[in-house]
This record gives sequence, structure tokens and C-alpha cells, in this order.
Amino acid sequence: MEPECATIARGLRRGDPSLLDRLIEQYQHQLLRYLIYLSGDRALAEDLFQETWIRVLERGHLYDGKHEFSTWLYTIARNLAIDYFRKKHPVSLEGLVENEQCALPEPADPQPIAWEILAQKEQGERIGAALAGIPTEYREAIVLRFYDGLTLEEIARVTGAPLGTVKSRLYRGLNMMIGQLGAGLGEDRT
Amino acid sequence: MIRNEHDEARELIALGGDLSENEHGRLLAHLRGCKSCSDYAEAAGRVARALHSLPLAADSSLVRATQLRVRARAMELQQQRERMRLVFIACLFVGTSAAITTPLLWRIFTWIGAWIGSWTGTTSLVWQVSFAFFWIAPALTVSAILLARGAHWAENKENRWR
Repeated sequence: MEPECATIARGLRRGDPSLLDRLIEQYQHQLLRYLIYLSGDRALAEDLFQETWIRVLERGHLYDGKHEFSTWLYTIARNLAIDYFRKKHPVSLEGLVENEQCALPEPADPQPIAWEILAQKEQGERIGAALAGIPTEYREAIVLRFYDGLTLEEIARVTGAPLGTVKSRLYRGLNMMIGQLGAGLGEDRT
Repeated sequence: MIRNEHDEARELIALGGDLSENEHGRLLAHLRGCKSCSDYAEAAGRVARALHSLPLAADSSLVRATQLRVRARAMELQQQRERMRLVFIACLFVGTSAAITTPLLWRIFTWIGAWIGSWTGTTSLVWQVSFAFFWIAPALTVSAILLARGAHWAENKENRWR
């Protein structure tokens, strides 16, 4: 892990475009997913996605290579999203869900097996609705932990929140998710 | 007391496996004897698996467009760096030449000032002000140009967000 981070840091200091191409491809799904769940709007998430990579290029010299690159990437994306919402709406990121009902996107179409498509689509809609119904800071913690697999320390670094706050956000967020999904969430069939 | 045990166990479950050995052992011990917390753990597992199963993906056109934008911006930054290097070299050159020529220029202004003063009766303050203006005028002009360009860049950057 360490040499990979150091290589990335060195490449970013040089502003190496081929390294950036590779990173964009490597983190495309993870980053977009995070931004979609953070902003609640796919089009906006795509704009922020592009701006995030421009920012990575411009501030690449600030990445020290001591921590995971993904953590630094999420931090940049998060700050951009917060800046955007501060500019467009005078509310904090935490107030996002309370102020505008986020319509989280439906998942992309899965592989074509008819009943699975239906079941997965239905499940995706339920999860999307459940995620949209919880406050942004809880949703962010849930997505970073359970979707992207970041450690608690990494989530704390990305969100700038103390470790205890991250733990409590996960607990409360998960409680809300379980409460909203109830027993309706079937076992994973994959 | 018992409620606290359940809360603690559920808080540990919510951490999604990021536990110390001690916490892991305590949680397992609790789950063995507690049906409701086992059910909670199962529900949490289902939520986590369901989240993983969501196939949200970036499409290739977005990735390609991003790569192109990043490359274009990298080129722009490269050009800016080149320009700054030129500005730096120019400043170095100007600074060095100023250090060498200023005493000479001062002597010339003194001589011309004294000569004109002997004809017109103007004080030495006039040629001293002229010298100061002559000396500082190029720097003022360059600063004004750079400030105008800086404002233009900032405006462009702002427009990108609209």
C-alpha cells in the first residue's frame, strides 16, 4: 500500500496526465457513487466528479502519500460539494435532506435475467429511498463504510469529524436504515 | 444495565467489522446469548449486502470527458508555469540590471538636473521626482497588467461554475 501511495504522490507532484487517467478509471465508480449519495442528484454529481479531478490535478502537490489516496480524494470531493451547496443554497450539508427532498437515483440496469432485474430494481429503489430519507451526514457515513469500505479513521479524516461522532453517525444511520427497510429487505440473491 | 449491553453490542455491529480483538470477542459473546441483537446483526448485514449489490456506475463518456478536461487543464497549468518561469527570469534580469545601472542613472540625473537647474532655476527636487518616476514606471506598468490578467483569470474560473 505504502509504495503505491508514494508513487501516486510523486506522479501528482509532477502533474502526470497518464497517472491521472489511470486514477480516474480506477476510482470512477467509487467517487461517482459517493457524490451521487452526497448530492442526491446524478447530473450535479457528474459535474462535481469532473471538478474533483481538476482539483486533484491542481492540488496534487498537497497529497503527502502517507494516507490512502481514496481518503484524500473523498475529502476533496466532499469539500467541493460543500462549497457548491454553500454557494447555491445558504444551508449546510447537514441540512441538505431537511431542506430539499433528495431524489436518489435508481441503480443502473443489472445483467439481463428478467426476475433478477425486477427484484434488484425493486430492492435498489427501496434502498435508494431509505438512504434518501436519512440525514446527509448519516448517509455519508453509511455509504463510506458499507459501500466503499473505508475504515472508521478514514471516514473521520474525510468528514473532519471526531471518531466518536463517526461511530454514532454509523449507529444512528444504520438504525434508521433498518427501521425504514424493516423486514422487507430480502436476502441477497447473488 | 442489560439495555446498555444491548446498546453497546449494536453500536459495535454498526461499525461494520472495524473492531479490535477485544471488542470482537465481547460482541460474539453477547450475540451468542441475545436473540434480539443477533436479529439486529442479521438486519445490519442485509443492509450492508444490499448496499453492495447496488450497481451504480459511471459511464464511459463521463470518464472520457473528465480525462480530456484534466489533460486540457494540465496543459494550461504547464503553460502558466512556463509563463511564470519567463516572468521570474525577466524579474531576475531586471533586478540585476537595475542594481548595476541605478547608481549610473542617478549620476546622470544629478548631472542633467544640475545643468537644467543652472539654466531654469528649478530645484533638485524636480529631477529627484523625475528619477523616482522613471525608475518605478516600468514596475507600475507590469503590476497593472498582471493585476488585470489576474482579475480576468479569476472571472473565468468563477464562470466555470455557472
